[in-house]
Amino acid sequence: MTRWTTKLDGSDLPDKLLIGGKGWSVARMAALGLTVPPAFVITTEACTEYRRTKDFPDGLIDEIAEGLSWLEAQTGRTYGHGPSPLLVSVRSGAAISMPGMMDTVLNMGICGETETALTEECGDPAFARDTHRRFHELYSHIVLKTDAGELSNDDTAQDWAETIRAASGKDLPADPTDRLHAAVRAVFESWDSRRAKRYRKHHDISDDLGTAVVIQAMVFGNMSGASGTGVMFSRNPIDGNPTPYGEYLVNAQGEDVVSGKFTPRPLDTMRDTVPEAHDALLDGARRLEVENGDVQDIEFTVQDGTLYFLQARAAKRAPEAALKIATDMLDEGTIDEATALTRITPDQVRSLLAPRLADGAAASAETLARGEAASPGIGIGVVVTDSDEAERRAANGEAVILARATTSPDDLHGMIAAMAVVTERGGSTSHAAVVSRALGVPCVTGCGDATVTALAGRTITVDGAEGLILADALDVQEPDETALSGIVRLTRIAEGVSPVRVILPGDAPSSALDLNAVEGGSELDRLPELLKGVDIAGGGALADDKGVAIAVAAGVKTIVGQPRLAILLAALRAQKTNEDRETIAVEASV
Amino acid sequence: MMKDPQLALHGLAIKKHGTAEEVAAITALDPAVVTKHLDAAAETGRALKTGDKYMLQPTAQIALKSAYSRDYSDERANADMQAAYDDFERVNEQLKSLITEWQTMTVGGKSMPNDHSDKAYDDKIIDRLGDLHERAEPVLDRLAAGLPRLSVWKQLLLTALERAEDGEIDWVSDARCMSYHTAWFEMHEDLIRVLGRERLE
Repeated sequence: MTRWTTKLDGSDLPDKLLIGGKGWSVARMAALGLTVPPAFVITTEACTEYRRTKDFPDGLIDEIAEGLSWLEAQTGRTYGHGPSPLLVSVRSGAAISMPGMMDTVLNMGICGETETALTEECGDPAFARDTHRRFHELYSHIVLKTDAGELSNDDTAQDWAETIRAASGKDLPADPTDRLHAAVRAVFESWDSRRAKRYRKHHDISDDLGTAVVIQAMVFGNMSGASGTGVMFSRNPIDGNPTPYGEYLVNAQGEDVVSGKFTPRPLDTMRDTVPEAHDALLDGARRLEVENGDVQDIEFTVQDGTLYFLQARAAKRAPEAALKIATDMLDEGTIDEATALTRITPDQVRSLLAPRLADGAAASAETLARGEAASPGIGIGVVVTDSDEAERRAANGEAVILARATTSPDDLHGMIAAMAVVTERGGSTSHAAVVSRALGVPCVTGCGDATVTALAGRTITVDGAEGLILADALDVQEPDETALSGIVRLTRIAEGVSPVRVILPGDAPSSALDLNAVEGGSELDRLPELLKGVDIAGGGALADDKGVAIAVAAGVKTIVGQPRLAILLAALRAQKTNEDRETIAVEASV
Repeated sequence: MMKDPQLALHGLAIKKHGTAEEVAAITALDPAVVTKHLDAAAETGRALKTGDKYMLQPTAQIALKSAYSRDYSDERANADMQAAYDDFERVNEQLKSLITEWQTMTVGGKSMPNDHSDKAYDDKIIDRLGDLHERAEPVLDRLAAGLPRLSVWKQLLLTALERAEDGEIDWVSDARCMSYHTAWFEMHEDLIRVLGRERLE
C-alpha cells in the first residue's frame, strides 16, 4: 500500500480531489478498457505536505522510484539507461484547472546515454538528437522559467546546459532522476505561483486543495512501419457527418505533424499497416462518444502495432457541424434538448446565417488578387490606401476598403472604419490579420507587391474566408433563418426555455424601444440605465451577447432582433452563467 | 532623454487619437502636464483637439521623427537596451502566434475564428499568455533599466492579463480597450521609435 502515489491502471477511479483532473482523465480512459500509456500520480496530499514542510514528505522519493520501476516493468524499458530507454512526461493537475500551474515537461529521461540508445532503437539519429535538445528547451522554459533561446543541434549537451545556466542562473541537474524530482518540486511550487494564487482568490477556491503530478510513460510512433501517430474525430468536425474523420502519419512522432516534415494521410490508411489498431481506435472512439455524450477529438499513437490513447476531449467544430451534430445526437437520443442548445453558440448561428456571395457570383467575377484568408466575411467598397482618408470617407457614409503594404498601430482608425482590409505582405499572424480578427473585419493579407497601387480607387469585393479580391460589387445574399430545418427546430426548443421572447424587427410593435435611435444606445455601459423599466427593446448594443445578458438582468421581456436563435441562446447562456457562478463557489468550498 | 512637451506628443503619436489621460497612462507623465502640452500643441496647429481627444498633425509627426535621433541618442547607443530589444523581438513573435491561436482555432485541419465557446481552450491560452508575460518581464526590466518610463508598460500588461485571467476575455486582444495585445502593440511602437528600429513585417 502506498501513501503518496497511485497507479492509474484503471482498477479503480480515485477522487479527482486526490489525483487531479488530468490523472482522473487517464484513469477513466483506462477504466473504460482503453489502452493508455502506463502512468502513476503523486497525489494532492503529497503537495499539501510539501507546502507545509517545504520538502518532500518521508517516503515520497522511494514511492517515485517504485512508480518508475512499475512503469519500467509495464513497458519493458529502463529510465535513464539503454538499450530501450523509458522516457516520461511530467504534468501538473489540480482538481480544478487554473492558470499559473506548471506546464507539461516531455521527454524526461533523455540524456547522453539514452540519446545513443534511442538512435539505435529508432534508427533515426536526428530524432534522438531533436528529442534531447527539445527536452533542454522545455525544461529551461517550464521548470526554470527562462527563455534561453533556441538551442542548436550542432552543440553538445554540455553547451546547452551552459547556455541555460547563463540565462537562468540555475543549474540543470545532470542525473535523470534528479531532474524528475526537480520537476515534481516545480509542479508543487507552481501551486503557489502568483497567477494560481490570484485565480483561487478570485474564484473562492481553497489554497489547501493542492495539485497532483502525473508521471506517464511516453510512447513512440516512430519505432517501425507498424507505428505511427494521429488525430481522430468521432464525427466529421467540418460538416458534422457521423463518420470518423482524422489523419494518420506512419512511423512518425506527434512533433512531425506540427513541423510539416511529413504529410498526414487520411485515417483509413491505418488499415494498410495497422488494421487491428485501426479497429481498436474506432471502437474506443464510439465508447468515448457514448460515455461523454459528445463528439470526441482523440490523440493517439501506435507503437509496434499497439494503439495507445493519449488524450480525448470534446471536439471543436465548424458552425455547420455544430448544427448537424446537435440535431443528430438529439435524434439518436444521445443528448436531451437542453444539452442540444449548449452545443451551438450564438456566434456559430450568426456565422451560419451571415451574408455570403450569391451562388455563382465568385465564379463569374474577375479575380484581382489572392492572398491569405486572414479574417472571414464579405466586404464591399472603394479601395483607399490611407487610413486617415478611410476614416474620413467612411464618416461621410462611404463604404471603403483599406489597402496597405502592411498595417501598424497607426492604421487602427482606418481599419475600424473599413469594410475590409487588404495587405501586400504578411501572413495569418501579421498585425493586419490579428487586428482585423479582433475587430471582426474581413481581411486578406499577403496579396503581393504592388497590389495597393493596382487596386487604388477600384470598387472591389473582398472574401476574407477564401482569401479572394474580386472586381466590382458582387451580389450578396443573406441566408433565411426559417429555411434551415435545424435552426428552426432549435429555435422552437429554445423558445420553450428562454428567459426572454425574441421577435423579428418586422414584427415589432411601435412601443418597442429602438436603441439605434437612442443616444448611447450602442454602448454596453449605458444599457442598464436605458433599459430600466423597459419591456421590449431591440437594436444598438443588444446585437452583442453581453448586451443580451444585461437585458435579461434588467428584466426586459421581449428582444427585437435577428437571428432569433442567436439571441435566445445568448439569453440562455446569460442565465446559466449566473447559476454556474453560484455552483463554482459551492464546489470550491467543499 | 525626451523632454515633457515632446514626450506628450510622442505618446499621442502612439495613441494616434486619444485623451490626455490615455497619453498620460502610457508615458508615465502627469495627466495635467499632458493636458497642458497637448493644449499648447493644439493652439499652434501641431495637434487637433475634438472633444477631449487629440490627434497629431502631419507637421508634428515630422518634427517628432527628427527629434527621436537627438533625444534618444543615449538609448540608441546603449548596447544593453539594443540587445534587450532583440530578445523582445523573439518574445514578440511568440506573442503574435499566441494571439493568432486565441483568435483562430483549427478544426479538423481547417482554420476558423475562435468563437470562444470552448472555455478550456481559452483558459489554456490565457494561461500560456501568463507564461509568456513571465518570460517577457525580465526583458522589459532590462529595457526599463535604460529608460525608466518604459516600466509603465509592465504594469499596463499585467493589468490586462489579470482582467483576462478573471474572465474578462476582451482584455486579451480587443483592439478597442487597453487589452494585452493593444498594450503590447503600443509598447512595441514606443520601442521602435525610441531605439530607431524597423518593424519586421
